[in-house]
Amino acid sequence: MSQYTVKIEDVSFAYEVQPVLKDIDLKMKSGEFLGILGPNGSGKSTLVKLILNLLKPQKGNIEVFGQPVQSLKDRSSIGYVSQKANSFQRGFPATVKEVVASGLYGKLGLFRWMKKKDFEQVDQAIEQVGLTPFAKSNIGSLSGGQQQRAFIARALVSKPKLLIFDEPTVGVDTKSVSEFYDLIKKLHQQEQLTLLLVTHDIYSALSYVDRVVCLNKQLIFDGDKEAFIRQDKEILSRVFGDVQGTPYLHYR
Amino acid sequence: MFTDIIEMFQLEFIRNALIAGLILAIICPMIGIFLVVRRLSLIAEALSHVSLSGVAAGLFLQKQWGLLMGMNPIFMGMIFSIFGSLFVERVRKLYHSYQELALPILLSGGIGIGVVLISAAGGFNADVAGYLFGSIVAIKEEQLIMTVIVGVIVLLFVLLFYKQCFSISFDEENAILTGIPNRMVNLFFIIIVALVISSAIQVVGTLLVSSLITIPVATSMQIASSFRRTMIYSIIFAELAVMIGFFAAYSLNLASGGAIVLVSISIWIVVVLYKQIRNKLNGRAIRSE
Repeated sequence: MSQYTVKIEDVSFAYEVQPVLKDIDLKMKSGEFLGILGPNGSGKSTLVKLILNLLKPQKGNIEVFGQPVQSLKDRSSIGYVSQKANSFQRGFPATVKEVVASGLYGKLGLFRWMKKKDFEQVDQAIEQVGLTPFAKSNIGSLSGGQQQRAFIARALVSKPKLLIFDEPTVGVDTKSVSEFYDLIKKLHQQEQLTLLLVTHDIYSALSYVDRVVCLNKQLIFDGDKEAFIRQDKEILSRVFGDVQGTPYLHYR
Repeated sequence: MFTDIIEMFQLEFIRNALIAGLILAIICPMIGIFLVVRRLSLIAEALSHVSLSGVAAGLFLQKQWGLLMGMNPIFMGMIFSIFGSLFVERVRKLYHSYQELALPILLSGGIGIGVVLISAAGGFNADVAGYLFGSIVAIKEEQLIMTVIVGVIVLLFVLLFYKQCFSISFDEENAILTGIPNRMVNLFFIIIVALVISSAIQVVGTLLVSSLITIPVATSMQIASSFRRTMIYSIIFAELAVMIGFFAAYSLNLASGGAIVLVSISIWIVVVLYKQIRNKLNGRAIRSE
């Protein structure tokens, strides 16, 4: 068994002829909370899709839980909250409970129906994100922050060991952003989950993550939070270009 | 009124038609809900036109060359519809960002083939009118058996694939990530849609078949908050539309398909009005608090 939850070796990826990621090496240990920072178009979401096996690299290898990601059998060991999660059809006729339960459907397969134990697991995931009073509400009737919590519950319901968030705070109000970070901090501490957070929101993320990776088509920085803060101006200039006068330098 | 109903049930073709209608009123919305939430309700429209071209091909082969004489042309409609459904899946992959393009291509292609074959066979006749608008007198025992078989297939499909279809309909990317075989489920689903439509056109007709698939779902979406309830309510609304529509068609000597659709739309109007009045009253109650 590999000591790494995620191991990315020499990975490059291009959409047709447009290079997006070049020679990426990255390792994540179990229980770590890693933040990947970078501007729009830096390849952050592409890297996540490669880890999730939604895209295949042109070069290099990706292992998750010590297995090549292409042959990973237990897909439910990875939970994913996408930036598109709350762009679903608002009028979709489904309750929070039904949406959260759908996180178990892949694991259940064709011939197994939800049993009492599975429903208890769904209730537990809903409780973890504080949505129990809204379990029977239509998902479209909730606020943006509550919907995001429902999608976190859907990702948690199959009891994953690795939880990936791709720009989870896009389009969410400030209060919900801080509630979101408090929730994932709690999950990280209580459930000992390995967390990967992709964001361009340095301001909020830095207070919570253990380690920072800065990306702009290639790996620019990989180190602990303190090391990042010591050289922030130089790193951010390399990642975001000229950052004078932008909010990036005022995150502390 | 009761004597009318008793008299109606003494006729075998009416019994066949009503049983077929009641089965369709279960399976059409059951499949329709997945089409509606995936914004694919027009697929039903397109596939019904392809079915018509299959029916026309069957009639053409029988009339011109005396081929497949013992076969109901609906079977040919079913085969065309299945190929049409596979075509939709193929074209949707071809135009990833404009997936709905598959529908007008299929719809116009279906009408084109149908019209050419009908005119080549010597123009419209009573048979074709029955397939266009639905005819309760046209339901024979073999069609009833076919509808029962399709009904059983659809029920088994929904029983086995409910979880997968829900997951794909709500968030396909997440469904793939959790290990749901989306391509296989999508393929089975679209074939099932083709089978349902072909078997329904005998009762409500090509031009009206999509209404049995979409209107009851649109009605129940007004009042249900969960997916399961939306499915159950839509079946209830479809059953009501079929029963009232059939009785009206028989009593007033109307086209069964049109009568069913009009009842279905009336139920939709009542539910929409009910919801609007309820919302207004709730709004007033909140303001007065």
